[in-house]
Amino acid sequence: MDQQQVIMENVLQFMQKDHLEEEDFNEQALRLYSYQYQFNLPYQAFCRQRGKTPRMVKAWRDIPAVPVNAFKEVALSCTDPEKAEAVFMTSGTTKGIRGKHYHPNLHIYDRSMILNFKQRFMGNIEKVRMGVLFPTEKEMPNSSLAHYLALAVKEFGKEGSGYLMNESGVDMDRLLDELNRAEETGEPYALIGASYSFVHVLEELERRGKTFSLPKGSRILDTGGFKNQSKELELNDFYDLLSSSLGVSRTECINMYGMTELSTQFYDDGNESIPAVKSGPHWIRTRVIHPLTGEEMPKGERGVLVHCDLGNFNSVTTILTEDIGIELESGFLLLGRVQGAEAKGCSITLAEFLKAAKEPLK
Amino acid sequence: MREIAGYLPDIGKEKFETKILTFQGKDGAIEAEIPLLNEKQMDMVIAKVKKASNETLKSFSSAEIVQIIDEAIERLLDRRSPYRQKAEKLLPIVTGYNEEIVRLGLTSYLKTFRKHELQRFLVEDLGNPLLLDDFQPRVTGGYSKAVGPELITHIWAGNVPALPLWSLISGLLVKAGNIGKVASAEPFFAGWFAQVLVEIEPRLADCFAVVWWKGGDEEREFSLFSQSGVVVGYGGNQSLQFLQSRIPITTRFLPFGHKISFGILSESSLDSRKAWQSVHQAALDVIRYDQQGCYSPHLFYVQRGGKVSPREVARMMANELENYQKRFPRRPLSMEESASLSSWRQKEEMGIFDHPNKEVLGNSANDWTVVYEENNIHFTPSCLNRVVKVMPFENIEEILSLVAPHRHLLQTIGMAANPKELFDWAESLGKVGVTRITALGKMTSPEAGWHHDGRFNLLDLVNMVDIESAAEESSERFAPYVD
Repeated sequence: MDQQQVIMENVLQFMQKDHLEEEDFNEQALRLYSYQYQFNLPYQAFCRQRGKTPRMVKAWRDIPAVPVNAFKEVALSCTDPEKAEAVFMTSGTTKGIRGKHYHPNLHIYDRSMILNFKQRFMGNIEKVRMGVLFPTEKEMPNSSLAHYLALAVKEFGKEGSGYLMNESGVDMDRLLDELNRAEETGEPYALIGASYSFVHVLEELERRGKTFSLPKGSRILDTGGFKNQSKELELNDFYDLLSSSLGVSRTECINMYGMTELSTQFYDDGNESIPAVKSGPHWIRTRVIHPLTGEEMPKGERGVLVHCDLGNFNSVTTILTEDIGIELESGFLLLGRVQGAEAKGCSITLAEFLKAAKEPLK
Repeated sequence: MREIAGYLPDIGKEKFETKILTFQGKDGAIEAEIPLLNEKQMDMVIAKVKKASNETLKSFSSAEIVQIIDEAIERLLDRRSPYRQKAEKLLPIVTGYNEEIVRLGLTSYLKTFRKHELQRFLVEDLGNPLLLDDFQPRVTGGYSKAVGPELITHIWAGNVPALPLWSLISGLLVKAGNIGKVASAEPFFAGWFAQVLVEIEPRLADCFAVVWWKGGDEEREFSLFSQSGVVVGYGGNQSLQFLQSRIPITTRFLPFGHKISFGILSESSLDSRKAWQSVHQAALDVIRYDQQGCYSPHLFYVQRGGKVSPREVARMMANELENYQKRFPRRPLSMEESASLSSWRQKEEMGIFDHPNKEVLGNSANDWTVVYEENNIHFTPSCLNRVVKVMPFENIEEILSLVAPHRHLLQTIGMAANPKELFDWAESLGKVGVTRITALGKMTSPEAGWHHDGRFNLLDLVNMVDIESAAEESSERFAPYVD
């Protein structure tokens, strides 16, 4: 076996564990760290600049966190990026540069998704009829979300599951057929997809004056926030509307928080109250740090999220996000993404400058 | 503690709502209580201010107004006066800036409004300040008088302390009634200034108002703007665009958008002794108000070929910023600001992998950051809060081609150059949109009578009223003494 295979085997075994000692996570994280330090050269340079060589790093908390922006600048991979089976890209806004996450293969990504999805979304059912509110993998080959949703249908979708999209967006006719069918047959139904697609659906249902009462056991998974693709809704209103238009209680409306730069997703246990606590499986851990000093914030205080995902065997385990959150006993609260701070004075900010450069004054 | 902000003229025994803005300092919080008027009350204020502008303010000579402002400024400069003490105590908490920075900044700013500076202000724009008092003969015949509007509305923005004074004093000098909306980031200073003025000259009591409302209140803004002769607005282009959409065509709008400023160091300024001084001054421009001002530098272009190299300048800059951090620490940043700053810095650090010549200098607490880059010199803003880039250049044309596409956003250049370069470069920089060139160390303290964003402070506010010579000649025919 070559080194990559050994590493992958380790990770897979780790994910299967049902009993975990604190030391186990540490050991696995450090093993991945020295592997990545050795083979991922941009990461090695990054660690060296911080004086964090494997000799200095004694615990998973010491592993240098790579800012998500770095995925836009360099190829973070232990193997030849050209040979990657999948390259997931961020949607990329500024200057059109997109962050790239290279996966030499998707064994671990898929395993991570399946184990976690089963536990956090499927509850105690094996399969459910699903409708997807997002384009297919074929249409978006570089979208990790497209892959994730396709996998959900493949692994957990009953026959008849499928995509409810057409060229112009959500295929309302098919969606309504599916919802009617569920109501008539009493068979639980799952709608999964991008948050902004749900917003379009809600608007359309309101326009048509339609509401549904989906059978017990039905559930909803939304992800990704609204990203200026639809009218921004207050989270509370969003889940209220979802619940009243589709007849799925807010506790059955699960939000998934994922990132292109990770191989593992976080879920909440429904959105009865906002913001809901997010957590992940035992192979991912989250710290909340102060962005300037890098020091961990006391539990309950706002800071920036750092994720250490052992599913990221090929890129880097530890990612510094631009998401603000609070650490709790049972997970963390996600409070939103830093969108570039607002101007305090009268000097121009980067965001405003980029906007002005894009749309020159007439 | 709670402090009343804003200022209202006498509109009788009206009960009005107030808005509380809270500022958290390291030694306790301050609440600003500011009047929040309803539409009817606002109309009363407008009527009152207009009336006072016509009946009272316009009866003062401009020399008298200068005298009153001078006295007010003198009180605010006097560190023993209660208003000054209040400003020194509260503004650091409200804005977060270091106390010394606020104290020094206030003094250097306020002294540009002393009597002699105000006279310069008047002469600069009008030539003959008496134009504001009386019809003055024109060289080509006839007479002219400069008449200020009944009402100027000011929409102030930002947390740079005391910034509203520019436009408020300009408004007073042209004898206009003034209504100002303070920024929620610094709601105090304009109101204090109004109170000091009234203490000195009680007859001015109804000539202005300092209030607050939530920006974007369409109805209120439309009503106020349509009753104003001039609206002066500060803010980002987007919010100015919104403002503009509510301003009737008959009201003059003077928008001051967010700007970007930078420094240029010529090789002639870079011998071992002078370079140190230049960098010291440049760093001062960076730390004053943590680059929040439109005149604050985002980056420095350093010419190659001097005895001190551009890379060395970057390192000296790092050294200076570290020294200043000890004496004048940066204001505490919000979590959002901290996160975007560290993300900016990390992105720069990642770039080192592709460009080994690049340097990212900073301390472990991220109190400041200097990035040196030479492979691909460019023009982008810094993320502010003591973050600068230093880049080398060979000749001025390189810089011109980088900044020219951003003409609408350019403002101040801090320059270290010899006299020939100063004038040659000013010539070409002016063509691409730069409106102010000053020495390093002076970027954040514009001189009295400066042309803010290239415009006139007073001339843009007034209307000239002409009596043509024909009218004068014709009037002679109707004189009682005509033969």
